[in-house]
Amino acid sequence: MRHTWPVASRELRSLFVSPVAYAVLTLFAVLAGFFFLSAILQFNEYSFRLQQFQLFDRLRELNLNDHVIAPFFDVMSVVLLFLIPGITMGLFAAEKANGTQELLLTSPLTLWELVIGKFLAAALFVTLLVALVALFPGLLFVYGDPELGKTGAGLLGLLLVGLAYAAIGAFASSVTQSQLVAFFLAFVLLLVLWMLSFLADLGAAGGSFGAGTGIGDFLRWLSTSEHFGNLVRGLVDTADLAYFAVVVGTFLLLAKAAVESVRWR
Amino acid sequence: MIEAQGLTKRYGDLVAVDDVSFSISPGEVVGFLGPNGAGKTTTMRILTGFLPPTDGTALIAGHDIFREPLAARAAIGYLPESPPLYPEMDVRGYLAYVACLKNVPRRQRREAVARAIERCGLRDVHRRVIGALSKGFRQRVGLAQAIVHDPPVLILDEPTVGLDPIQIREIRSLIAELAGPRQAESPHTVILSTHILPEVEAICRRVMLIHQGRKVLDAPLADLIRDGRSLEEIFARHTAREAEAPAAEAAS
Repeated sequence: MRHTWPVASRELRSLFVSPVAYAVLTLFAVLAGFFFLSAILQFNEYSFRLQQFQLFDRLRELNLNDHVIAPFFDVMSVVLLFLIPGITMGLFAAEKANGTQELLLTSPLTLWELVIGKFLAAALFVTLLVALVALFPGLLFVYGDPELGKTGAGLLGLLLVGLAYAAIGAFASSVTQSQLVAFFLAFVLLLVLWMLSFLADLGAAGGSFGAGTGIGDFLRWLSTSEHFGNLVRGLVDTADLAYFAVVVGTFLLLAKAAVESVRWR
Repeated sequence: MIEAQGLTKRYGDLVAVDDVSFSISPGEVVGFLGPNGAGKTTTMRILTGFLPPTDGTALIAGHDIFREPLAARAAIGYLPESPPLYPEMDVRGYLAYVACLKNVPRRQRREAVARAIERCGLRDVHRRVIGALSKGFRQRVGLAQAIVHDPPVLILDEPTVGLDPIQIREIRSLIAELAGPRQAESPHTVILSTHILPEVEAICRRVMLIHQGRKVLDAPLADLIRDGRSLEEIFARHTAREAEAPAAEAAS
């Protein structure tokens, strides 16, 4: 694994000399600020209403975690779904377009060193994005008293979702030499994975779709939003952690196979 | 230094390389000739470990490309047809990265990079971004990349293609120079693919001609041109005969 870090650091340096990294960071910061502000304003408005109508029971239940932080994390997970493909699209596709793939595959490094190095670069960028998100609830700790554990669980969820997205994006980048194709393929995969739980809910409501066969449950299990939801609610379950590990592992395996496939032809 | 035994590469029904065997001893500089599509690039890609052969195997500096792929690849410096460059990196950073990929120990990396820059005449541009360099300089960076780890074997795939005459002359003399003694005091073993015949006469001492995937000629250059024939004639004769043979069979 001694080549893993050089591959990752080269990738990160390339990311930061291109405008992509800055575009993604800027967009992400702006959107995070916007959604955080809107969550706070909604919270204010809601608590004001409850006071106005003297609904003290409801007012007692009102808290920063459930009414500001959780919705904020939820929407940020959707923002990640749009932005991470932008970071991962070049991982392998650019190497193919540049011809540098030939350098990598004729150098004494293993495919795992390459794939994990690439993933590591994307993972570090995702960590930076999640750290940016963490700043906003950090403000709430200064002016209020949200629960630390629950907030931490939510951030962990966001990080894990981001890593899963990065692995999927890496796979999408490994099957094409066009960064544009890689972006849209990753985006579609992520969107489908995210929406599966809605599809399952639709089936549950209609009663006919996969009723009683467990298909609905299976779709729900497959969906990233389902496992992320648990973490945001403060529920750190090994089953959810395992889910993210399985997604990352599976897609890195697929990416390795796709990189290797030039040798099969 | 290089032992190829029965290398064959099939793509479905198409046979790109057909049972090619050869042996190259240390310090030899071999011109690898053939018309476009003869299988030169495929053969080189097999030797460098980029593609596995359908059949046959090869030993690079004593390492089997199947059984010890990493050791075999570490012994090769390879310049593909289009130099594998990262346009956003500077020359020095790029060479340091390649040195690292090729297992040059961390402490010797600076020195290895400096030597490659020196040998390839890149001293004036070593801080420049590769994307901003001219084509001739990029080709030099490609060569520097191939020699940065001082490999015993150099495989160069059409290193002068697409350059202007002055650049061609520069690259050619550079290769001739590289074919000389290495850091480790033993000379590089070089395979140079090209279809530019004067290039072969200028640099190589042995000629290997490949046509329709088969090796049709393998002899020292001196023997070939001894009786006054030009390399061009020899080239034309060997590639033409092979092409007409099946037609003649069909007619009879």
